[in-house]
Amino acid sequence: MKKTQKIRWTALGAKTSVAILVTAALLMLALSAVQSYYARKEIRANLERNTELDLFIKAQKIKYSLEAVENALQNHIDDIERSLPYPDSLFSVTRRIVEQNPDFDGCCIAMIPDYYPEKGRLFQPCSYRDGKTINTYLYDVEKYDYTQIAYFNFAVDNDTAYWSEPYRDPDDSSVILVTYNFPVHDPSGRVVALLGVDLDAAWLGDVLNAHGLFPSSYNLLLSGKGRLICGPNPAEVKHQDVKDMVAMINDSTLNRYLSHTGKSTILAFVDKEDGEKGHVSYNSPKMIAPWQIATVNYDEEVFAPLIQTRRRNIVLTLMGLLILAFIIHRSAQSIYKLRDANAEKQRIDSELMIAKNIQMNMLPETYPPFPDRNDLDIYGSLVPAKMVGGDLYDFFIRDEKLYFCIGDVSGKSVPAALVMAVTHSLFLSISSHESHPARIMQGINESLCRGNESNMFVTFFIGVLDLPTGLLRYCNAGHNPPLTIIGELVEPLPAKANLPMGVIAEFDYMMQQTRVEPETMIVLYTDGLTEAKNMDRKQFGLEKTLKILEKCHDATATQLIQTLTKKVDAFVGEAEPSDDLTLLAIRYTPKEESWTLSRSITLDNDVAQVTELNQFVQSVTEELQLDKALSRRIKLAVEEVVVNIMNYAYVADVKGQVKVEAMANDERLRFILTDSGRSFDPTAVSRADTTLTVEDRPIGGLGILLVRNLMDSINYERIDGQNILRIEKKF
Amino acid sequence: MNTTIIEKDGKYIVTLEGELDTAHALEFEEAMKPLHDVTGKEIIIECTELEYIASSGLRILLGLLKNAKAKGNKVVLKNLNDEIKDVFKMTGFIDLFVIE
Repeated sequence: MKKTQKIRWTALGAKTSVAILVTAALLMLALSAVQSYYARKEIRANLERNTELDLFIKAQKIKYSLEAVENALQNHIDDIERSLPYPDSLFSVTRRIVEQNPDFDGCCIAMIPDYYPEKGRLFQPCSYRDGKTINTYLYDVEKYDYTQIAYFNFAVDNDTAYWSEPYRDPDDSSVILVTYNFPVHDPSGRVVALLGVDLDAAWLGDVLNAHGLFPSSYNLLLSGKGRLICGPNPAEVKHQDVKDMVAMINDSTLNRYLSHTGKSTILAFVDKEDGEKGHVSYNSPKMIAPWQIATVNYDEEVFAPLIQTRRRNIVLTLMGLLILAFIIHRSAQSIYKLRDANAEKQRIDSELMIAKNIQMNMLPETYPPFPDRNDLDIYGSLVPAKMVGGDLYDFFIRDEKLYFCIGDVSGKSVPAALVMAVTHSLFLSISSHESHPARIMQGINESLCRGNESNMFVTFFIGVLDLPTGLLRYCNAGHNPPLTIIGELVEPLPAKANLPMGVIAEFDYMMQQTRVEPETMIVLYTDGLTEAKNMDRKQFGLEKTLKILEKCHDATATQLIQTLTKKVDAFVGEAEPSDDLTLLAIRYTPKEESWTLSRSITLDNDVAQVTELNQFVQSVTEELQLDKALSRRIKLAVEEVVVNIMNYAYVADVKGQVKVEAMANDERLRFILTDSGRSFDPTAVSRADTTLTVEDRPIGGLGILLVRNLMDSINYERIDGQNILRIEKKF
Repeated sequence: MNTTIIEKDGKYIVTLEGELDTAHALEFEEAMKPLHDVTGKEIIIECTELEYIASSGLRILLGLLKNAKAKGNKVVLKNLNDEIKDVFKMTGFIDLFVIE
């Protein structure tokens, strides 16, 4: 039952835990997505700024490189202009230019048509590098008419330097060349020739791609018509083919013209080969116009910090979730523990409630307890401080003796209650056949000491009040002495403390006795009365108790207890009750009987005298006009007790006498048997077991059994060296 | 108090008369002694005339019964009056004896 319950809890717990974890994971995911979105935006903005700067710087670099070329040529221009009158010297000029500029692939001087009539319409001396050698020759103008090239005429007409569109080297198709054309003037300032210098664009590409924004980034330089002038070293291009990139830029060039912002255009692309995403930005800064410059960056690298952050986030999130799972698990466990503990507490509470009922049922419940009697007024009460307590009190009448007790077990709650129950049951079982309070105490004490490893002890008071005579025998085991109230005099019963029970098994308890005057009230209490504490931790005290009792001399037992309880309650007020409060009040109110018949006979301790006894009893019953059956019953009872005395009170052969007194009124018939033999209490004899078989049944023990059955009460007392036995029959 | 024992058809018939009080118990015990020696017999105790019995008388009957059980005798009590039957009930003897 318990196990299945636990499993059910765990399953429910797992469900809740998973729900919490999933929610937390989703929250973190959402958070990271938002963060990622803004981070990406930020990176993009940064990229735009950086590419703008990159393009600007690269353009600047290109410009400087070109200017360097232009400056280098300026000197050679002077040389050419000086050599103009000597056409053949121009060959050596071209050779010198190539020699002095290792970056130049070659150069040529294209004269305007008919400038040297002796050399024909066109004249173009050249020098070109071929490996390590330089070839100087006259360009074959038959094959290639440079005047047909648009920029030639443009440069000549406008007297301006001009960069040609890139073109493939006719000798080596893998080399892309650009030509710088510079006007040459005659002394009159007329443009007479163009100096053309061929440059390997790869050189510009190296300048352009010396540094990239990211490891895979590269830059492109495009002519105004969108032809690739230079780019990265093809071996270093990881992803998309440069050709595709150029095509893409050319396809979208229109956008740039439309935008008119002067800002770079940014295009996103996806690599055709490996699906890698990237962005290309391009622009045509004024300083190199109409050339265009582009920078290509791959998202993988651009967003690397973001990806790294995202990875870190995932790891952190997982760790966080793990920790959360652990915390949930632990807290769930403690919640279940708490719940279990609560359930356990409820169960214990309800069990304690049952225990309380059981304990309360052990105590006398109905008042007045002896409605048929007029010689006793008894009231008791027990208010436990906790659910169950260690206090107890009880009383009962056996053979015209009132047995009463009050006790307090050390400690509180369940352990005290257990010992209390044991003590109570021992008291009842031992006093069912024992009337001597010290012997009852000893019997209980021995049992309590046996195996008392928890060292619990019990303060206890036992009283046995002989109701016909008022003789009170009592024994105290470390308990508060009871108080007696006679008139306005309240005083403690002189009770020797002895030792609480449960301490020393062999302890010899002392019995004390006194004669209780009629109308005396005996008040028994536990320290819950005198040690009751108020909010100021002050005790109720004995003095206050005595003062209250002094005014209670006319009160009934019930009134007295109620008054005391009320006073204690008022005193304690809101304070937590510190101990069980147990009170028992007994008022002894014997009534003097008046008899209409009174006879007596004295017999020797000889069973032969039974015949005389029977005649005596018969004469009594006849005078009372009892019916035959009742007469026989009474005769039998008297015979049994007398024979008992004859047989047991006197040692064999010792002569003695038994006095039999009979007295009667309308209510009852009483016999009092007095003898001077040794102390012999027939009421203390254990009852014969009437359920045994013939073989097991002892011969004897029948007489007293018969008397108890035949008469209403039997009572024994030893007073002044005499055994006094009373038997009584009510009519 | 009178006790007579007669043997008839292999059975012992004990007739009790009067009051069996403690004063007469010894006398009754003596009278019953011969029955302690018989074996395998039925002992019928006729109580029609028995008016009274004290515990001393009951003890003698119990002694007789214990002996009879040991010797294989059967003891039957007959015609107990109401008061004596009450006494037998009070003492539990009603369950020990065969009572007719």
